[in-house]
Amino acid sequence: MPTLTIDGRTLSVADGTTVLRAALEAGISIPHLCWHPAFVPEGSCRLCLVEVEGLPKLELACSTIVREGMIVKTATPAVRESRRRVLEFLLAEHPVDCPICDKAGECKLQDYYADYGLTEGVFAEAKERRAKKVVLGERLILDRERCVLCTRCVRFLKDVTGTRELGVFERGVHSEVGILEGKPVATAYAGNLVDLCPVGAITDTAFRHKTRTWFLSARPSVCPLCARGCSIWIDYHPGFPRRPASAGVYRIRPRTDEAVNGPWICDRGRYGYLDLHRRRLPAIFWNRGGQRVEMSREKILTLLGEKVGSLATRHQGKGLGLVLNSNLTVEEFGVVRQTLLPRIPQARVWFADPPHGEDDGFLLRSERTVNRRGASGLGFDLAPLSLEDVARGLTILVVLSPFFGQAAPAAGVEKALASVETKALVSPVETGFEGLFDFVIPSALPSEKGGTFVDFQSRSRTLSPVFPPWGDAWAEGDFLSALAAEISRTS
Amino acid sequence: MAEAKTFSRALGREGGWSIEAYLQAGGYRAARKALGEMTPAAVLDEVKKASLRGRGGAGFPAGLKWGFVPAKTDKPKYLCVNADEGEPGTFKDRYILGHDPHLLIEGALIASFAVGIHRAFVYIRGEYENIARRLEAAVAEAVERKFLGPDVFGSGFALDLQVHRGAGSYICGEETALLESLEGKRGHPRLKPPFPASVGLFGAPTVINNVETLANIPGIILHGAAWFTDQGLPTDGGTRLFGVSGAVARPGVYELPVGTPLRDIIFTHAGGMLPGRQLKAVIPGGLSAPVLRADEIDLPMCCDALVRAGSMLGSGAVIVIDDRTPILDVLLRVARFYAHESCGQCTPCRLGTNWIRKVVERMASGGGRPGDIDELARLASGIKGRTLCPMGDAAALPVLGLVQKFRSELEGATCRP
Repeated sequence: MPTLTIDGRTLSVADGTTVLRAALEAGISIPHLCWHPAFVPEGSCRLCLVEVEGLPKLELACSTIVREGMIVKTATPAVRESRRRVLEFLLAEHPVDCPICDKAGECKLQDYYADYGLTEGVFAEAKERRAKKVVLGERLILDRERCVLCTRCVRFLKDVTGTRELGVFERGVHSEVGILEGKPVATAYAGNLVDLCPVGAITDTAFRHKTRTWFLSARPSVCPLCARGCSIWIDYHPGFPRRPASAGVYRIRPRTDEAVNGPWICDRGRYGYLDLHRRRLPAIFWNRGGQRVEMSREKILTLLGEKVGSLATRHQGKGLGLVLNSNLTVEEFGVVRQTLLPRIPQARVWFADPPHGEDDGFLLRSERTVNRRGASGLGFDLAPLSLEDVARGLTILVVLSPFFGQAAPAAGVEKALASVETKALVSPVETGFEGLFDFVIPSALPSEKGGTFVDFQSRSRTLSPVFPPWGDAWAEGDFLSALAAEISRTS
Repeated sequence: MAEAKTFSRALGREGGWSIEAYLQAGGYRAARKALGEMTPAAVLDEVKKASLRGRGGAGFPAGLKWGFVPAKTDKPKYLCVNADEGEPGTFKDRYILGHDPHLLIEGALIASFAVGIHRAFVYIRGEYENIARRLEAAVAEAVERKFLGPDVFGSGFALDLQVHRGAGSYICGEETALLESLEGKRGHPRLKPPFPASVGLFGAPTVINNVETLANIPGIILHGAAWFTDQGLPTDGGTRLFGVSGAVARPGVYELPVGTPLRDIIFTHAGGMLPGRQLKAVIPGGLSAPVLRADEIDLPMCCDALVRAGSMLGSGAVIVIDDRTPILDVLLRVARFYAHESCGQCTPCRLGTNWIRKVVERMASGGGRPGDIDELARLASGIKGRTLCPMGDAAALPVLGLVQKFRSELEGATCRP
C-alpha cells in the first residue's frame, strides 16, 4: 500500500496502481483521451502529463505506477501549459463542428477545451480534408476529421472482442482508422465503439442526427434480453409523455457494472428497442365475431373475472391454463403464487419463453430472458407450454407472454387454441396471434415497471420504472392482482 | 592527431568484404579470445571500462546497457542490431555493413557471448538492398565456417544471426518501433518503461545496439579498454565515423578519434569549404541535432561537449551549410522530413510536426507573416519533451535551433513589404 501525495492530498493506494487511477479514485480530475479503464495504458494522447517531483520531464499519469512517497502535482503552470498545447494541437486539425456533432455535450475534447484549454484559435493554415462518412459496419459511421486517434476503438476490437476489424492505416498526420476492404466491423458488440469514442468520430445510425444530448435524461435499468441482465442506461426525451415510452428512447447505453457486464453491452441489448414502439399493442380489445371491440379495464375485468371465477369456484368447465414468461418480475411471480393460484386450484402453469440461443462466451447468455431464476425461486418449474395439453382439456387460457408461439409452428398454435373456450393474451407487444384470442390486453415493458430480476449469477437486480406504462398498458402485476380481486368478489 | 584505423582499414582491403580477407587481416581473433579465454563477465567489464558510447544517436554507454539485461530469466534473450540508419545526413553504418560485414558479425558475436544471447537480428533499412545482400552472404560465410550457429568455434556457444529488412520508415530506427516492426507489427514506438533490456523483442530481455557500436567491440577485446580510451577520451572512448556532407571540398566518411575538433573535421579532413563559399552553419550530429553557427564550431566532437553546446553528437553526421544556402530552405527540409516521418501515434508529434510544416511551407511560398517565427518556436516547444518517443525532440530541437540562431535571416521571410 504505497502512499503518494497528489496536489497536497495524501492517498494510500493498492500496489501497482497508476497515478491516474489514484487521482480519479480520489476525485482529482486529470484529462485523458486514449486511456480507458478497460485497456492497458497506451500513452499516446499525451493529455495526462503531470509533474512528479524529482523527475525532469512531465510524466504520464496513465502509465506511471505509484511509488512510495511520490509527490504528484496536476495543476502546475508546466502541466497546464502542456495540456493547453496538446488540446491546441488536437483542435488545430479538428473540424470544430460541434453545432452539428452528435457527441456535442458529452464530448471529451469539448469538455477538456472548456476545462483546460481555452486557447485562442491561431491555426491559420488549411486543415486536412478527410473522409466524413466512412461506413465501418452495419450501423457505424466514422468521421475521420473528428477522430483524435486515441485508438480506443481499435484496441476494443483487438483486446475485448478479439475480432480486430479496425486498424490504423497510413502515417503521421495522414494516420486514419479504417477497416480492411470488404471486412466491416461485424462483431455483435460494435455499438460499444460509439460509447468508447471520446469525440464524435464514430456514430451509429440509430442515434445519428436524432437529437442533442443535452435534451436527454438517463435512467438506470436492466436489460431483459438475456439471463445476464446487463446494467443499462436508458436515454430518453422527457418532453414527449404522449408518445409510446419506447418511442421516447433515444439510446441504450451500458451502465458500468463490474460484477455483471463491465462497461459493455451487446448490440441486441443496445438496439433491441428500435422497433419496439411500432409493435406495441394499442388498446384493450375483445375479438367479438371477428370484430375488435375496444373496452375499458373494468369491463374486461368483469368479463374475464366472471369466466375464471365460475371455473374456479363453481367447477364449471375442464381447467384453466396460465402461461407466464420469465421476463416477469419476482414481485409479479409472487402475485401469481400467493394471490392468484390459491384462488384457482385447478390452474396449470406453463412458461412461454423464447427458444434458447447461442452463448457467445462473453456477455450474451443462451437463455434469452432475464428472470428464470426469479421464477424458479418462487417454486415455478418453468415447464414449457405444451400445445397438446392445451388442446386436450382447457376451458380458459390466460397467456402473459410476448413470446407466445415462438417455439411452435403457427398452424399448431391455431389448432390448439381452437379447442379452448376463453382465451386472453396479455403482452406489451404484438405476438402475431392476437386474432386467435378473445381478449387482448396490452401490458408494460420492463422499463415501465419496478421490481426485481434474479440474473444467471443469482444476483438480485432492482428494476425501477423509467416511464409510466404507455396508453392502456397494464403492468402484469397490477392486472394479476386485479384479476384475483375480481375472482374473490364474484365468488 | 593521427587517423585511427579501426574501420578504415577495411577500405581497399585485398579481397574486399570476403571472410578470407577479413581472416587475413586478423578477423575473428577477438571473438576467439572472448569465447575461448574470457568469461562473459570479463568481456562485459572490459566494454564498460572502454567507455564505449552508443553510436546510434543517444550516446548511451554500451556496457551499461548490456548490464541492464537480467542475468537470470526464464525467457530467451535477444540482440537486435540497429542497421536502420535513417537519420538524414548519416551514411556511416553502410560502410561497415558493405565493406566489413564480418566486423559487425564478430562484434555481435562477442556482445551475445557477454550477455548470454543465442539469437540475434540485424534490422537493416529496406533501401540498403545491395548491402543487405552482402551482409546475408557474410552471415552465410560465417555459418559455413561455424563462426555462427549451434557451436561457435567448437566452444559450445550458440548464436543464430538473422538479417531482417525494414520497409523504409524513419521511426523504425527508434529502438522500440524497431522491435515492433521486427515482430511483424506496425512500427510504432512503445511506451517506456518497461525498457527493452527487461521487456523487449517478443516480450523478452533485449539488447539493441547500433552497427558502429558493435563494430567497436572486437578492437576493445583484442587490444583492451585502455587502448580504446587512449584513442578517444576517458569518458567517451574510441574513434567515430564522421559522415561529412554538404558544402565541403571532400565530403565523405572520416574515421577520427572521439574529441577531434569540429573545425578540424570540416577544414582539415574534409578539405574545407567549396571554393568561394563561406561556412554559415553546421548540423553536427544528423538532422535532429540543433544547428551550430559558424562561430560555434571550436569544440571537440564528443557526446558531452556537444550537449554542453546545446546540440548533440547524435550519429556523428556533420552537415555543413554554406552562405549560399538560405536557412529557410534548411528549415523547410527539416519541417517536411519530420512531418513526413512522424508515425502518427502521439498527439504532439503527429499534429505539431504537421503544423510546423504548414507554417514553414507558407513562409517558403511567400506567405510569411509577422509572428511566424515566434509561432514556430512555440509549436516546437509544445512538442519537445512531451511525446511518447524521442522523435518528438528530434523534430522540435532542430526547428528551435534554427529559429533561435538564425532569427534575423528567417524574419526576412515573414515581413514582406
